[in-house]
Amino acid sequence: MTTGHNSKLTDVLERCRPVPPASPNILKTLLAVQSALGHIPTSGILQIAQVLGVTDAQVAGVLSYYSDLRTQPTGRHLIRACMGESCMANHSARVLRAIQDHLCPAAGDASQAERFTVETMSCAGNCALSPTVMIDEHLCGRVTPSDVPSLLEAQVLRRKTEG
Amino acid sequence: MTPTRLYLSNDTSSRAAGADKLADAWRDRSEIQLIHTSSRGAFFLEPMVERDTAGGREAWFNVLPNDLPRIVAGVGGTKVAEIPYLQQQTRFTFANFGITEPLALDEYQSRGGFKGLAAAQSLSPDAIVDVLRLSGLRGRGGAAFPVWKKWQVAQQTESEQKYVVANADEGDAGTYSDRMMMEGDPFRLIEGMMICARAIGATRGYLYCRYEYPAAARAMQFAIQKAREADLFDCDDYPFDLEVVTGAGSYVCGEETALLESLEGRRGVVLAKPPYPAVSGLYGKPTIVSNVLTFATLPNILANGGAWHASLGTEGSRGTMALQIGGRVKQPGLVEVPFGLTLRDVLDRFGGGMAPGARLKAVQVGGPLGSLFPESQLDIPICYDAFAGAGAILGHGGIVVYDDDTSMVDLARHFMAFTADESCGKCTPCRVGSVRGREILERIQMGQGDLEKIEWFEEIGHGTQPHGFFSRLETSPSSHHDHFDSLATCPDPSQ
Ligand SMILES: Cc1cc2nc3c(=O)[nH]c(=O)nc-3n(C[C@H](O)[C@H](O)[C@H](O)COP(=O)(O)O)c2cc1C
Ligand code: FES
Repeated sequence: MTTGHNSKLTDVLERCRPVPPASPNILKTLLAVQSALGHIPTSGILQIAQVLGVTDAQVAGVLSYYSDLRTQPTGRHLIRACMGESCMANHSARVLRAIQDHLCPAAGDASQAERFTVETMSCAGNCALSPTVMIDEHLCGRVTPSDVPSLLEAQVLRRKTEG
Repeated sequence: MTPTRLYLSNDTSSRAAGADKLADAWRDRSEIQLIHTSSRGAFFLEPMVERDTAGGREAWFNVLPNDLPRIVAGVGGTKVAEIPYLQQQTRFTFANFGITEPLALDEYQSRGGFKGLAAAQSLSPDAIVDVLRLSGLRGRGGAAFPVWKKWQVAQQTESEQKYVVANADEGDAGTYSDRMMMEGDPFRLIEGMMICARAIGATRGYLYCRYEYPAAARAMQFAIQKAREADLFDCDDYPFDLEVVTGAGSYVCGEETALLESLEGRRGVVLAKPPYPAVSGLYGKPTIVSNVLTFATLPNILANGGAWHASLGTEGSRGTMALQIGGRVKQPGLVEVPFGLTLRDVLDRFGGGMAPGARLKAVQVGGPLGSLFPESQLDIPICYDAFAGAGAILGHGGIVVYDDDTSMVDLARHFMAFTADESCGKCTPCRVGSVRGREILERIQMGQGDLEKIEWFEEIGHGTQPHGFFSRLETSPSSHHDHFDSLATCPDPSQ
């Protein structure tokens, strides 16, 4: 964990410290940490447990249970292709393949891995516009494999200009 | 010249369909004033732009930025009241959709909002439960349990603290009505939760919203803040407050006991019942956990009476159902109709037929734990009893249509893999069975199936039935089994 992360973690945890009679809420705390740091470094588990007054095993148990809690940082862009049934029926597998083909010209390209994380998700609630792809916070619908390059460009550029 | 008021939906799916591009492109146009509404749910027509005319709203479909002059000139619009997709629906719970600004409390009130709560406040808690009993309302989250029975238990359990929890985990792929409700008519959900709180004597509510719905969580937070500022929570000295809590990507957390575990911050594992949450739920206190749409149905019932609600639908399934059509149809979207139409009716009237070039293979209803219907079984009426009779569940009303590009073995493997990923791990048949099931299906996918494997597979299904909460591991439909039988020795398993 970097020092920057360390002080951020300490700040977040201060805000999550349970005030009696409220009982400690592990999940809420982990979500707060993730929202501040982008992920939950496993090296922080002990500190989290101490602040909450629970065991580190309890924290680790919650952390490993929920699939949206991440222990690793994602690439600068997180791309999630929906594999829910409505998207599946509309050939989301082909869309996923197009994303992978577009982003991973050479397997194991570390700089690409730093820039992009490609994942699947199980439903974005956008089923009337299947297939769905989420690029960072941006939801795209009716995506065809041939749309993929321009969508990725547009979203990546958009993020750049916005911030 | 006063700018023309144009209405554009701000729903997440509308934005994904291009509404956000229109809003961006038209931001600085002084000739128009954009009003951000909820969506009518006819997503195949979106982005859709509406404006007022002497004869009511007119709409333009699948709008592109350079259509603006046409719209401002009033050329080529369609009367909203004459859109067949909408005309043939019975909108009560979704009556405001496409019309109001979701976060405008005054608009909600001017269209009858909070009349249900006012009616509830003039009744005793017992009398509210009686209205619910008369209404015949059953929970919309999947289990279809009579709402009044749960409420009566929570009401009669003595406790200094009780809770109301809205289940907004909406985990079934193919469903999005809860998301639309939270984004599109948040005060209706708040009103419904307050009616329940009043009936059981709860002073605190939580909305458990899945991680994938950030816009819905934000809309609810805004609406709660507005309600608080307007002193709505202080009504007749009965304090109430409401908080939004997000989940973190676990399907099982949609199950009510797992949800409550998760709300307390722990691993979301399913607990044995009894005790039921209505007796001992959140922090061991009496708690009503209900689906978002169950709560959203309450304001109309209290305002119009239990008999009014009971006059809609069928004998065992009163009221209307929000169906969400997706998959390979021409007209995917949200449809609110009284119970009782057949699945075929719904697909014919609203689905608009198959997407170009696609041929219907099967229709899935009720999410990953639901059922698949082949074309020959589509005449089933959409109501709880008919579905139960067929060994199926209506679930949360998600309908996904598959065409013959989808291999049933791939689909079955998908469900097995989903179950294996999402099993909370508590019960062995589900935890181990789903992994074995996935492995068997992967062998079949590779063309290595045989009858013995199919029998194993069926045994796993039966094995999980009486045990795990994932008791529908078998994925039910008869057509499935026939399919596997013929596939076991099939040299080309991609069929
Ligand atoms: C595995 C599993 C997942 C569930 N997911 C949901 C869900 O996402 N949303 C929901 O409202 N109910 C879900 N339920 C049903 C809940 O346990 C519970 O019956 C429901 O929230 C009660 O509300 P209702 O009476 O309004 O239907 C799920 C049940 C199971 C077994
Ligand atoms: S199935 Fe992909 S958005 Fe719902």
